[in-house]
Amino acid sequence: MIKYLARRCALFALALFVVSVVVFLALRVLPGDLATIMAGLNSPPERVAALRAELGLDRPLAAQYGDWIAGLMRGDFGTTMLTGQPVASVVGARVQITFPLIMLGLLIALALGVPLGCASVMARSARARGLYQAVAIVGGAVPALWAGLVLILLFGRGSGLLPILPASGFPQDGWGDPAQAALALVLPAVTVGVIVGASIMRYTRSALQSVASTGAIEMAMACGMTRRRALTHVGLRLAMPQLVSVVGLTFAEMITGVMVIENLFALPGIGSGLVDDLTHRDLIAVQSELFMLAAFFLVIGLLVDLTHRALDPRLGEDDE
Amino acid sequence: MNRPDRRRVPEAPARIAAEHGPRGRLRRAGVVVASMWAHGAGRFALVTLGLWILVSLVSLFWTPRSLWETNGYAVWAKPSADHWLGTDGVGADVFSWLMAGSRTDLVIVALTVLVALAIGLLLVAAMTSRAAALAHGSVVLIDALISIPTVLIALMLAVPLGASVAVIVLACGFGYGLNLARVARPSAMLAARSMYVESARADGASAMRVFATHIVPNVMPTLVVQCSLSAGTAVLAEAGLTYLGVGVPSGVPSWGHSLSTSVRFINIYPLTVLWPGLLVTVVVVALNLFGDALREAADPLTNPRLRGDDGHRRR
Amino acid sequence: MTTDMSLAAKSKKPGGPRKAAPWIGVVLVVAVLIAVVFGVRAAASRGGGAVDGGAADSVTIGLKLAPTNLDIRNTAGSSLDQILIGNVYEGLVARDSDNKVVPALAKSWDVSDDGLKYTFHLRDGVTFSNGDALTAEDVVWSLDELVSKQYHDADSLKNLETIGASGDDTVVLTLSKPYSQLLWALTGRAGLVFDKDAKYVAKTQAVGSGPYLVKEFKPNTMITLEANPKYWGAQPKTPTVVVRYYADDNAAVNALKSGEVQVLAPIGAQLAEPFRKDTAKYVVETGEGTDKYVLGMNNAAGHPTADKKVRQAIRYAIDHDQLIAARGGVDKALGGPIPSLDPGYEDLTKLYPHDAEKAQALLKEAGYTKEHPLRLTLTYANTYGSEIGDQLRSQLKEVGIDLKVNVVEFSTWLQDVYTDKDYDLSLVDHNESHDFTQWSNPDYYYGYDNKDVQRLTDEGLHATDDATRDAKLAQAARIVSEDAAADWLLNYRITTAMDKGVTGFPLNMNQTYLPLWNVAYTPAK
Repeated sequence: MIKYLARRCALFALALFVVSVVVFLALRVLPGDLATIMAGLNSPPERVAALRAELGLDRPLAAQYGDWIAGLMRGDFGTTMLTGQPVASVVGARVQITFPLIMLGLLIALALGVPLGCASVMARSARARGLYQAVAIVGGAVPALWAGLVLILLFGRGSGLLPILPASGFPQDGWGDPAQAALALVLPAVTVGVIVGASIMRYTRSALQSVASTGAIEMAMACGMTRRRALTHVGLRLAMPQLVSVVGLTFAEMITGVMVIENLFALPGIGSGLVDDLTHRDLIAVQSELFMLAAFFLVIGLLVDLTHRALDPRLGEDDE
Repeated sequence: MNRPDRRRVPEAPARIAAEHGPRGRLRRAGVVVASMWAHGAGRFALVTLGLWILVSLVSLFWTPRSLWETNGYAVWAKPSADHWLGTDGVGADVFSWLMAGSRTDLVIVALTVLVALAIGLLLVAAMTSRAAALAHGSVVLIDALISIPTVLIALMLAVPLGASVAVIVLACGFGYGLNLARVARPSAMLAARSMYVESARADGASAMRVFATHIVPNVMPTLVVQCSLSAGTAVLAEAGLTYLGVGVPSGVPSWGHSLSTSVRFINIYPLTVLWPGLLVTVVVVALNLFGDALREAADPLTNPRLRGDDGHRRR
Repeated sequence: MTTDMSLAAKSKKPGGPRKAAPWIGVVLVVAVLIAVVFGVRAAASRGGGAVDGGAADSVTIGLKLAPTNLDIRNTAGSSLDQILIGNVYEGLVARDSDNKVVPALAKSWDVSDDGLKYTFHLRDGVTFSNGDALTAEDVVWSLDELVSKQYHDADSLKNLETIGASGDDTVVLTLSKPYSQLLWALTGRAGLVFDKDAKYVAKTQAVGSGPYLVKEFKPNTMITLEANPKYWGAQPKTPTVVVRYYADDNAAVNALKSGEVQVLAPIGAQLAEPFRKDTAKYVVETGEGTDKYVLGMNNAAGHPTADKKVRQAIRYAIDHDQLIAARGGVDKALGGPIPSLDPGYEDLTKLYPHDAEKAQALLKEAGYTKEHPLRLTLTYANTYGSEIGDQLRSQLKEVGIDLKVNVVEFSTWLQDVYTDKDYDLSLVDHNESHDFTQWSNPDYYYGYDNKDVQRLTDEGLHATDDATRDAKLAQAARIVSEDAAADWLLNYRITTAMDKGVTGFPLNMNQTYLPLWNVAYTPAK
């Protein structure tokens, strides 16, 4: 296991390096630069050139990359070119919105998805099975954008039929007033939770079914368990590796899913911030943010993988 | 789901698919479709997807109104005999745009799934390869790349390509391909370590052959469900990316286009946003059901009619 | 983890038929959500306004385009002018709601008869928000820096020769040639006065002499302005102004409806409709602006649009009234490059009335037929929405022009169209005031090179009296329009929706200049 861990960590470092190079180069290929944007429409070319020099955009690529990496090594993610704030603090402010949003959404999703997924396998009558299936499938088929809009039309403060929840941005003092801040996240989190919950439900169901098809459930029942107990006790346990994978992946996917939701609910989170920075060609900000995201998800991937191994002894066999 | 035959020890997949040749394959396909049709969900999926294809074809030749018939004095009109679902923000016919949008979405879904499947299978092959460097390298590659959100890939692709169908297809195909590989990894790994593979290798079967006969059949059920989910997700992604301005270009009809042009006016004209949203939901439901139904119908373990050769008809 | 817990919870209980079990999680979530929502709502139901029906000490304003930093000397974008000029920073002179020059830091000024010498008399006792006195030295330093470092808009001060002070309260500018737009240019960024001795991070902080100071700034999200206790004039009517930026129109509308903001500017004319009807609670007003939606045509040789007949055909083909109607009917038709608030304005809408037949005839003369139709690409930034492109495509199709619409990111537009001039048609909202000179610059992305226009513009800019200036510019503008150098789709007018209790909110040009000192808000009882 230790040998595996060491190998995995070495590969992790390599992957980080590759990500840094790819991200850096990909961004340098983009047409348009910050200097042109900062200079605006009626500025003479000399002004653009002066801004480019001031921002360091005219330096050789290798030097720009070297500076950035040297900074990363020191734990310095750089200063955004546009806003002049340290990237770390910009991201920190955004994480305070996105992370709670994702966690809340994921909690809602798990709390909805896993029990419903189990229930849909356990259900005996065809009608109940059909109903569960309908819930899972329709829930996963609604466009996030549209689900958010419908929720706003139903409950959004302002235009909703039952206007009980805010739907337009984060409180100005952030988490200074935790109640208001939490409230602002409820509608977007429910939007995310319902949609992701449906997919968790599907995965739970299909994982349980594939476990059931191995005969393990029958074996447990033969040992005297009821079907329900066999499914929740043995089945879920065996389906665990697959579920952990899915939850990890879902977490990664939610950054994506949340981007549209953040836009819709005017929440200044990671996703919408990244789109902003990319639109403005604030390269230092974008590359550091991408790098942080990639590093974060590499860690998640690593954890998912290790958990997976811990939960499924069959996979560990080759590590002599 | 818990039919008695579940208890039978499963046979090696290779033996069940014993019928070779085009005729056998055709017969199998017929049985699969018939089995799907036998269930309500499968029937719904088949009918919806059939209608989708039909409407896409018809829209190539005919729509109730021309797409480019705009009228600035009659924007956001309510449904009427002239405009069955009303008009949009430039006075064009919503129904015609939705009809024409179905062909764009159809093309996007087909291409995305193909790209995803190709990437997914390639990665599964790499992961189960006996070359340790390749196997581990591909695992790390997947872990590294899967962390980059589809939307972000799309945003970056959109810079050189502009808003285009290719952005959706490439970004989604890439992302879903990684996803396919990642989700199929456990079963692929188990299959790669199974006795079948070991004995096949002992028999001197080529890596290609081992992959095709032992690993692919084992990951296929997972991949089919994933592909149908991916197809559905592609429709949803089209809507999302088009809303963010990097998807289907302006002027090309698509459901995402219809959805995002009406989104801004949801406060005043909620009805207009209803249609594309409903349409997308129904089609994605059908795609998801299709995957489930196909898996049930095409898997000899769950579909007794595919095991017709052993003479038992259950149920 | 959650799965583990639910698993553990389940395994403790003896097996048996418990039909409700799977629902527990669902019910729990719903119950917790409801509890949280109502609990928090109860806890948080504090009043947002003031008591006793008096004016509130804080007002929240919703705007659309957000500044990314506060560095007004370096960063372009009208959102900075909008929030900082007249509120945080002040210039020697300012503009009123009709775009005319009025005194600001200079209480008066004299211009020599030859138009070459401007003498500004500064107010007494003006200090910056950090307590430093504002003197002629700061003014001279600010202008010197502007010119030597070529800060944004430095090129708007043409013909400037010397910048000098005489004593603490007089500033003298001399020009090499008369420049009729100097005073107006000084109302913008070029004339802003900064503290020579202040040290601050320009991207996130601001030290000015205006009625407000920046208390907090969150890029792309919000700015909190607080009354500057050291302000030389009367204190602003509302001590705290919070500005929130909503990129999404729905969020903005909801914010106004739910009372999170008291003013929303701009709001789409159609989106404003429900507020317009609700006269008991809201007021909706439309102000004039200098925004020109310019359908740029590439006049440079080698492009189909280099042919005047083609450009004329396009102008005849466009039905401006219909474009305006589809947007809610508040914008104005604009037949030429100068809007009504700028010098040299003349109604040129009659030059190219909508006439599809004339357009077709012109295309035929230019050599395009049904078999060989004219194919053009329109490139514009995605900030303007797809509707306008769809409409143009449909209108040009009627006269036989095959228009491909390419909606891109703004930075791509800047690169491809503005910098590389690689385009046929382009659409952009030129919102700047007094920007007619772009038509006398053959290197600008229009590629429009007309010696008469250049001469007339020059004469207008060097005029020593306003009447001559206006006449020359009007003459030049007419030529540009007759040449069909571009098409001017519309003059965007700003719609502002606000709570009935809000007074003093500027309506004209409020997207480029938004003095807030006079805004007051009296919440309804």
